Amino acid sequence: MEQFAPIAIFLFVLFLLLGSGVWVGLSLLGVAWVGMELFTSRPAGDAMLTVVWRSASSWTLTALPLFIWMGEILYRTRLSEDMFKGLAPWLARLPGGLMHTNIVGSTIFAAVSGSSAATLTTVGKMSIPELRRRGYPEEMIIGTLAGAATLGLMIPPSLTLIVYGVTINESITKLFMAGVFPGLVLAAMFMAYVMVYSKLSKTWNPTPEPPMTFGQKLANSRFLLPVVALIGVVIGSMYLGLATATEAAALGVIGALVLAAGQGSLTWATFRESLLGAVRTSAMIALILAGASFLSLSMGFTGLPRGLADFIQSMELTKLQLLMALLVFYIILGCFLDGISSVVLTMAVVEPMIRAAGIDLIWFGIFIVVVVEMAQITPPIGFNLFVLQGMTRHEMPFIAKAAIPMFLIMVVMVFVLIAFPEIATWLPENIRQRPAT
Amino acid sequence: MGQITRTLRRGLDALYLTGGYVSALFLLAILSLIVLQMAARWTGMVVPGAADYAGYCMAGASFMGFAYALNEGAHIRVALMLQFMGRYRRWGEVWCFGVGTVATVWLFWYAQKGARTSFRFGDISQGQDATPLWIPQSVMVVGAALLAICFIDNLVRVLFTGTSGVKADISDHAQSE
Repeated sequence: MEQFAPIAIFLFVLFLLLGSGVWVGLSLLGVAWVGMELFTSRPAGDAMLTVVWRSASSWTLTALPLFIWMGEILYRTRLSEDMFKGLAPWLARLPGGLMHTNIVGSTIFAAVSGSSAATLTTVGKMSIPELRRRGYPEEMIIGTLAGAATLGLMIPPSLTLIVYGVTINESITKLFMAGVFPGLVLAAMFMAYVMVYSKLSKTWNPTPEPPMTFGQKLANSRFLLPVVALIGVVIGSMYLGLATATEAAALGVIGALVLAAGQGSLTWATFRESLLGAVRTSAMIALILAGASFLSLSMGFTGLPRGLADFIQSMELTKLQLLMALLVFYIILGCFLDGISSVVLTMAVVEPMIRAAGIDLIWFGIFIVVVVEMAQITPPIGFNLFVLQGMTRHEMPFIAKAAIPMFLIMVVMVFVLIAFPEIATWLPENIRQRPAT
Repeated sequence: MGQITRTLRRGLDALYLTGGYVSALFLLAILSLIVLQMAARWTGMVVPGAADYAGYCMAGASFMGFAYALNEGAHIRVALMLQFMGRYRRWGEVWCFGVGTVATVWLFWYAQKGARTSFRFGDISQGQDATPLWIPQSVMVVGAALLAICFIDNLVRVLFTGTSGVKADISDHAQSE
């Protein structure tokens, strides 16, 4: 890296724009322009338009609005009520009791939605008042909800994984499959924590549930079963190679519409609202991706990615050391940026590093998702904490403290993932042949 | 005077919302194209160029939705510093909308230049669809223009009234997460 001054200017502009509150997508566009002006004589504007158009009109990207829309439709159904009613009878007998509805509910909703805030509100809307009424400890209600809702980012469909896949040109289907088992393992770890806590805590004394017959339990969860079936169709069609990620998303939207209609919650108003909600979120992500595509072109000219990759190689770090460095880096970055922005901002630089170190990019996708998930529940900018604050009216320090155990469990998850990479890589290696297009 | 600004206000908001609806129509078009393609494959037929058309609709949906998303406060940013500025926040907002205006006008300028170049040289898509590229690209131009107008609109409002028309809603920001 012989051109020190221009690189310093480049990075300074990046931090200035992002830090001063300019919208992320436009910050990336702006700093990319500065990079082009500093490092090449190519006409910046025309180059920008070419890459932005290519990125915006990409076919792979179409999975994104469809999956968002599917989540938006189900978010507006009666799913929230049914989730608690349907899950409670089955989980009441476990140690930790109904506290598990937070975790299992989040896992299920995560499988129809790629957003952890939507997961949080859908599950929390019912479970917070119900759990409070039964005398479950407040701290655990908040903590488990904050932690488990981050599963929305990992369990397919995951918006972060779509963005990651589009950015580094990897198969979305493979990334989705890679997220399935780590998501379930993480959910199991959360549940194990609840069980241990309930056994050790002296003040754990919630009202027990009245016993129910098997028939009653089934009757209570009859509304939940169609959702589980929909999840099966979406993930199964990708796994069996019957549909690409985009096609699975289209199936998901149609399934969600049918389900909402069956429940009687599909009105013209909810249809329009779900569609406009999808427009807003996908436009937001598309703007970031457009800026990021130009930034990665510009970044190439700065020589920063290659320089850093060479530098890392010359340090002869082991894979573990490199991953630890990245772990710390992303946790710090996550304190200020949301997950999707962190991924697109850094991939142009991190990708060559990861390739040079011989780390599997599908596996790394899951790694990065767990790490940005952690950022969701760390102050000062943890979106889940904000959403919980809005829902419960607790002070921020209380919520942040309640989420600390979940944060630590996720750190453990990172090491589990490093020790047993097969959790992520086994399923994608075993999917059936994908269709041609 | 008040009458004119009110009319202008309502007109502009309606314009952004219309962009949002057009974007929604593009989403519906994507859904139809994907379903059509799937149905065709299962019955052993091909819809030539369906993937390319879906891509154009994707670009259309994004660009037409940009301004609407901005007005609804859906675009994310790091607001930490702005919150920290307290009563000087207005000047921070002026800076943000100023940078945004420059960036989006620049984007619009090259979008229209690119689309005009495609038209003049008769560029057609490399894919099976062989669409003249200026057709989908002109949607991009309209969307970029809307976004630039929305930024100028908000910059003017922050300068003269102290607050932008962008709705701040944390749960909305977090939808993406």
